Amino acid sequence: MTVQPTVPVLAAPAERISTARLLARTGTAEWVRLWTVRTPWWFLAAAAVFMVGLGALLGLEAAADPVSLQGEPAWQTAQSLAVPAQFALIALALTAVTSDYATGGIVPTLQWTPRRPVLYAARVLTAVGAAAGLGILLALASAAAAFATAGSALVLPLDGGLEMAATTAFVFATGAGLAVGLGFLLRNTAAALVSVFLLLLLLPVVLPLLGYDWLATAADLLPGTGMLQLLLGGVGYQGVTEASAVMTLLAWSAGALLLGWLRFRSGR
Amino acid sequence: MIQVRGLTKRYGGVLAVDGLDFDVEPGKVTGFLGPNGAGKSTTMRMMLGLDRPTSGTALIKGRPFGAFAEPLREVGALLDPVAVHSGRSGRNHLRVAARTNGIPPRRVEQVIEQVGLGGAARRRIRTYSLGMRQRLGIAAALLGDPGVVLFDEPINGLDVDGVLWIRALLRRLADEGRTVLVSSHLMSEMQQTADRLVVIGRGRLIADTTTGELIRGLGQRRVRVRTSEPESFLAALERHGLAAARIGAGELQVQDATAAAVGNLAHASRIPLHHLSEVEQSLEDAYLGLTGASVEYGAGAAEPAHATTGSSS
Repeated sequence: MTVQPTVPVLAAPAERISTARLLARTGTAEWVRLWTVRTPWWFLAAAAVFMVGLGALLGLEAAADPVSLQGEPAWQTAQSLAVPAQFALIALALTAVTSDYATGGIVPTLQWTPRRPVLYAARVLTAVGAAAGLGILLALASAAAAFATAGSALVLPLDGGLEMAATTAFVFATGAGLAVGLGFLLRNTAAALVSVFLLLLLLPVVLPLLGYDWLATAADLLPGTGMLQLLLGGVGYQGVTEASAVMTLLAWSAGALLLGWLRFRSGR
Repeated sequence: MIQVRGLTKRYGGVLAVDGLDFDVEPGKVTGFLGPNGAGKSTTMRMMLGLDRPTSGTALIKGRPFGAFAEPLREVGALLDPVAVHSGRSGRNHLRVAARTNGIPPRRVEQVIEQVGLGGAARRRIRTYSLGMRQRLGIAAALLGDPGVVLFDEPINGLDVDGVLWIRALLRRLADEGRTVLVSSHLMSEMQQTADRLVVIGRGRLIADTTTGELIRGLGQRRVRVRTSEPESFLAALERHGLAAARIGAGELQVQDATAAAVGNLAHASRIPLHHLSEVEQSLEDAYLGLTGASVEYGAGAAEPAHATTGSSS
């Protein structure tokens, strides 16, 4: 085997690069990193099959019972399906962080982008953006599938669609932010995923059923309660307003991202 | 140029790196040697900003690694070839690296060909052998055409062809004026490849010198003789203060002596010799002497200063 010439083949490196340009480069690299392994595609496929497939089935169900569901917006169907389906996209965002720790890939990653604030911001924005963006697309596709199979039983008003898209994007983004922050903090997929599942679904549902007022109050402060309030319209959570749900989700997501940053900043 | 000054890393009560001072100069292959746990990897990690020094600095081209706007275009490094996502293809691994530093896609194809991975670039890394992963890591290190390269045990897992290839690559990189730091536990390889050697033990600098000086300065001169009267010659050697030992039937090895002195002594003692030769010193002998002393005296003990001939030590 011969050694190829290694004479300079690139222009001289830049002395300085703006943070915005560096962030854009790193974000692009993170996007390529995310979609060049199979796992995210499996998560996306699972979420798509669930939301679009069940959307179509619920549409068929509405068509079969046009009296009770007459005039219902198909957007509501999509938001209901988003409650379980979000976990696939949250897992997608989470593994964008934790897979680098599981494989040791964080070592070359930090060699290529040693400025940790830039890498952290790019990774968070890419993972959260992917979860929120895909959440909107799948919710729209789910509503369209339900509308298409429902005949005239369901409606699809434009203004309701915009509200649904905004709500879904917010819930998916804050849920993904919570997961990504926990991923950076715990550096372990299973531990972070179990934590997210507890905070977003299990504890908000189970705690109020235990019969203690203080546990019910505590449940109101969990991110899952806010998520259920926003996606399902406050089923069983009369004490939680839309505004408080938004604040709860923002606080949990921001808190997890802050803790994740403190861990990321302190070492590899 | 890499400048290490007072570099220290403490993990709790363990002093992993203890006040290291050395330079790695451009245009030379510098070997980085030391026993397991000596602090080589920790030192390299601190050079790359992966670990924060407790005190001291490790500067590349006068700057800390994290200060470079496009680090891959300044410093290429291979630390751990298996520390990659094995579900990604080799080409996509390099594409990600290229994107982070604004390196054009054509350069990815160039380094793939350069390291001989053209036929495997589309395959997932999990199907690669250790040697192929080494080549991929070297491709990533060369991606930005950097002036400084750091390789941690680059020969691990390579076949003979791969060893010859990397030996030639290291030489060519140095001949092009790049700064090349390569750690290895293979003394024979370092003896053939490295121009200078930085040897550390228990986190402390033991030697910073050229390979030739290290071998000549630390390896004891030994002479091997074969005679029909080994017992008589042993006694004669002892009378003249030379230590010797039998290493075979009629064969002796004399410590710290020249062939001329041993030959003259045999002649004066009227003892016939059938063979007389100086034993060639190896880097391994010198290395074992150095690091063995380090372990024997422990951290904080006086170092064998006579071996430290570099300007920075």
